[in-house]
Amino acid sequence: MDLTRAKIRDLRSALDEKKISAAELCGEYLKRIGEQDKNLLSYITVTKEKALSDAENAQKLIDAGKATALTGIPLAVKDNICTDGVKTTCSSRMLENFIPPYNATVIEKLNAEGYVLLGKASMDEFAMGGSTQTSAFAKTRNPYDLERVPGGSSGGSAAAVAASLAPAALGSDTGGSIRQPASFCGVTGIKPTYGRVSRYGLVAFASSLDQIGPIANDAHDCAILLNAICGHDRHDATSARVETPDFTAKLGQPIKGMKIALPKEFYSDAIDDCVKKSVMDAAHELEKQGAILVDCSMPGLKYAIPAYYLIACAEAASNLSRFDGIKYGYRGEGRTFGELIVDSRNKGFGEEVKRRILLGNYALSSGYYDAYYKKALALKQEIIKEYSEIFGQCDVILTPTAPTPAYKIGAQDNDPVKMYTADICTVTVNIAGLPGISTTCGYTENGLPIGMSIIGKRFDEQTILQCADAFEQGFSPVAPKL
Amino acid sequence: MAVDMKTIEHLCSLSKLSYDEEGMEKVMGEMGSIIDLMDEIKSFDLAYDDTKDGNEIRFADTREDVPEESFPTEKLLANAENTDGCYVVPKVVE
Repeated sequence: MDLTRAKIRDLRSALDEKKISAAELCGEYLKRIGEQDKNLLSYITVTKEKALSDAENAQKLIDAGKATALTGIPLAVKDNICTDGVKTTCSSRMLENFIPPYNATVIEKLNAEGYVLLGKASMDEFAMGGSTQTSAFAKTRNPYDLERVPGGSSGGSAAAVAASLAPAALGSDTGGSIRQPASFCGVTGIKPTYGRVSRYGLVAFASSLDQIGPIANDAHDCAILLNAICGHDRHDATSARVETPDFTAKLGQPIKGMKIALPKEFYSDAIDDCVKKSVMDAAHELEKQGAILVDCSMPGLKYAIPAYYLIACAEAASNLSRFDGIKYGYRGEGRTFGELIVDSRNKGFGEEVKRRILLGNYALSSGYYDAYYKKALALKQEIIKEYSEIFGQCDVILTPTAPTPAYKIGAQDNDPVKMYTADICTVTVNIAGLPGISTTCGYTENGLPIGMSIIGKRFDEQTILQCADAFEQGFSPVAPKL
Repeated sequence: MAVDMKTIEHLCSLSKLSYDEEGMEKVMGEMGSIIDLMDEIKSFDLAYDDTKDGNEIRFADTREDVPEESFPTEKLLANAENTDGCYVVPKVVE
């Protein structure tokens, strides 16, 4: 069976019609991983034995006529999502040998469907980065050009899907970590509304911003996966008690009359011309389908990067304080209690994680709290207000996903400011807790994918999926040549 | 804004991290650039209003505080380096 960019629903049909067994399908993906991943480095752990055992169990469900959407479907899972009995490293020396004693809620939900875990996908250490080059174990490469980054922090998940080493994957998004790698790797990724998907079992980076979501070959597959993982969870007090609709329900419906906002600040000189052109061409394509393009403004974007980094790093400094070498994580050495903790953290954390902890403690420390952290919270309120005003006039917002296509490995090393400002197109969605989806809208002259983001109202994932799907129907994606 | 050595040492103390002399110079330069970027927020002239957040946890929605089965002790201890039926921490003398 040709697995190149195979969709979940095609695999579902093949399994249900007995054209392939769950074990054979799993074996095909494992073979591809064995052949291709030594160059790509998208997985940290490949769970071969568990995958084949999962597949056997799934086949029993299929044979009994009890298959659901994901029964027997192999998936990759980002390595910051806890999997019972399977190493979950967060790409950090700190958790190099950590084997969770429980499953994240999303994994329990996938288990209930009878999915097959192919392995744990690489990521930036503790999800801090946009390149997957801060991983302590697998610095993933872009399937379209092995000399370029796959984006991050869910770079392993996006690269695995792009290279057909998994038909879909789970990622997590704190400031763009699903959407930006989806853009760089030419696949589709959705960050759901904050509260839509339980964070229980997701190793915390910034708790008010983190959200788990799917990365897949198109919006339809993202909807199928989102259907499986969403819903209120009593283990997560921030998961929302809201209705969970069928996210595939509006797919295929015409977008005639849909109002699409284009905030001018997202199309500034900071965005590469090729990206702007590609996104605007896509906007006009949607206009041809009957959508109405609306110019608007979002002045608060100017302050979005400092607001995001101050909030995210303040929360990260607090969340990562648990890694002390005593209760959690890598254990260093020391003659005193204090020395032991410092040595554990020095050796367990990489440089980018340390920088963010320092910045977080700076923002929270006496004398700076009002000037930085509280000011960032004021910006959060302003950004929520500006989004609300735009959504008073429009149904969705269209922006580039990243200012540039995938860049060369090493191009942003030793320049944290450059790395941080590259998040400008994605962070406000997390700050406001909105849903956002990135899908491929074109390619550069060198064949690198370009992504566009469609942002929706809170808990209105259905409309952004409908809009992304409408565009994808007339777009021909190009798979990477590996 | 340049960040001085004293500030970085204070942040390291709060963060339970340390650097050697060379690392200290490097991180001082990097943090200076990062804080310059963060300083842009100072020109935004609205104040935070904590009555407008609306993101507080609704305690009416929290689950009842009743005992229920938890994880088996052996499974939780499987990640510990040394165990003797309980979690053994290294001997440290202050």
